[in-house]
Amino acid sequence: MTAVLDARGIGMTFRNGDELTPVLSDVDLALQPGELVALLGASGSGKSTLLSIVGLLLRPTAGVITIGGERVDILSDAKSSLFRNQRLGFIFQFHNLLPDFTAIENVAFPAAATSGGITGVMRKRASELLDRVGLSDRIDFLATRLSGGQKQRVSIARALMNRPELVLADEPTGSLDRAAADQVLALMREINREDRTTFLICTHDEKVAAGCARRITLFDGRVDDARA
Amino acid sequence: MFSFLVARRYLGSNPWQTALLIAGVALGVTAFVFITALINGLATRLTDDVTARSSHVSLEPADRVARILPNPNPYLKTEAVALVSMLQRKQIRTWAATVALLESQAGVAAISPQITGSAVLVRGEAAAPVAVTAIDPGNLDAISPVSREIVAGDARLNANGILIGYRLAEAMGLSVGQPVMFRTDRGVERLLVIEGIFRSGVQSLDERVAYISLETARALFVLPAGVTNIEIKLNDTGQARAFAQFLSGATGLRAIPWQDRNSSLADALTAQAQTGTLIQMFSLISVLIGIASALSLSAARRRSEIGIMRAFGVSRPFIASVFVVQGLLIGIIGASLGCCLGYGLCSWLATFSKPDGSLALPIAPAEGGYVLVIVLTTAGAVLASVIPARSAARLDALEAIQQ
Ligand SMILES: Nc1ncnc2c1ncn2[C@@H]1O[C@H](COP(=O)(O)OP(=O)(O)OP(=O)(O)O)[C@@H](O)[C@H]1O
Ligand SMILES: [Mg+2]
Repeated sequence: MTAVLDARGIGMTFRNGDELTPVLSDVDLALQPGELVALLGASGSGKSTLLSIVGLLLRPTAGVITIGGERVDILSDAKSSLFRNQRLGFIFQFHNLLPDFTAIENVAFPAAATSGGITGVMRKRASELLDRVGLSDRIDFLATRLSGGQKQRVSIARALMNRPELVLADEPTGSLDRAAADQVLALMREINREDRTTFLICTHDEKVAAGCARRITLFDGRVDDARA
Repeated sequence: MFSFLVARRYLGSNPWQTALLIAGVALGVTAFVFITALINGLATRLTDDVTARSSHVSLEPADRVARILPNPNPYLKTEAVALVSMLQRKQIRTWAATVALLESQAGVAAISPQITGSAVLVRGEAAAPVAVTAIDPGNLDAISPVSREIVAGDARLNANGILIGYRLAEAMGLSVGQPVMFRTDRGVERLLVIEGIFRSGVQSLDERVAYISLETARALFVLPAGVTNIEIKLNDTGQARAFAQFLSGATGLRAIPWQDRNSSLADALTAQAQTGTLIQMFSLISVLIGIASALSLSAARRRSEIGIMRAFGVSRPFIASVFVVQGLLIGIIGASLGCCLGYGLCSWLATFSKPDGSLALPIAPAEGGYVLVIVLTTAGAVLASVIPARSAARLDALEAIQQ
């Protein structure tokens, strides 16, 4: 079985003029289809950095990344943009939704922006996804009129819009209360179980970590892999 | 297109700010329209004032200069010279052919073959010099609206009739029906009858000018066949120079456009047009700076949103197009609104007139340069939005999200 993600020998050293900040060195990370993985580590250990590298938002200073069998660390800017659009899903902690658009428009946006408009098919899929995250009664609400937890659930729906093979989430529950955080975690687990979508979730939340079948901890720029 | 939807949402998300921006563009365009209509109106009025009683192109005989004739016998060292007789009156002999040529030209509004010369009016002890224009009585108003300015008698020119200005009539104590001795600079004299008295409002005309019929003038000025000049009115005064050039080539006559007789006016019109262009440019530039700065602010405010879009794979060209479309929409709406406002303003100003019936402000509401300003503003707005569009598209997704 080909790995969804195979990252080898990832190294990242930030450079600001003469100042070098080594963050990751020789990190290996492989995810199999259908895995639900928590990425843990102290603040500043490089979780977000690793997630950005895997999500093609940041080019590593060393290493090779393969997603779904395709080498992606060498893609051009335009190609990696299209790759993110078609094959990856993102959930962030803040500013996730576009405030001038409704819930359903936010969900359909990744598909619409690359094909010239929101089609009926897109609208149908988006409303199914919103239904799935329990927001069928908020379809036409502007993003600004949703609660934090609702926004995060719309973000999950949007991440799934183009049927990605890997969803990357950076502290998806970081700014939610316990109940909303539990709801978001439950949703991700459900989708992972039903669709076999692979999730890599950066988190500080013990409960989220406990809900994941596999936990990877970053420590001193290296990984400590533990399977439940 | 999806970028149109996104651009519309962005503009709609802050309606007051968008309304202010469009109002700014519209006002700039209004200023452009106003100044264009004013400059055009002013140019038309000045040109009309100057050309109302004179022709647009004058045809005169070419200057005759003494010239050396080709030597008929190369073995003889003699030179033959054609002399210019000072006694011979300069005239256009082939005027009928020239008139026929003019009649065949599109754009010619009126043609008036004339004999002009000077004469003296004598009545008893009093004598007054007059500039005589002899014209075809059937075509009296071709160049100057003489018949409309008659205040006594009428404008029919009989063989022994003469029309004079009211100031001259007053000075000589002449009234309609009275005879007056008419002596030309060729020394021919004849008794003519005052048939009409005109009042043009131009002092020099009312004091010095007299009209007689062309046939009468032939004998008086000793020109049995020719005319001294042909005066032409065109539909478009702006074509005078080009038409004069064509005529001098086609006829060999001297063709003088009205601008050459009024070179200071022509210079003033050019200077005025240049000033207008400068003001137009400044109003457009201020519009474009407004658009560029407003869109730059909007791009800066939306950094994190743009970062998110880039993260889920929206392309840089798409992001850029959203801002360019915003510029396009602002440009089109602002320019259209500005044109309506400008037309309204100019039309309103054009309703004010001076006691004599002329416009208080010589404004031409129809000539506000509307198409030009819409094209320039829209194209300029798109160009102005390129700067914010590029900066938005270049944004690093990660940096923008992490803010
Ligand atoms: N652009 C950058 N230039 C220099 N150093 C950077 C840059 N981005 C991140 N870093 C450094 O890399 C290290 C890891 O940052 P990262 O954001 O990946 O940590 P994290 O594990 O996600 O922390 P947290 O749990 O607080 O989110 C930090 O020490 C940070 O200062
Ligand atoms: Mg982080």
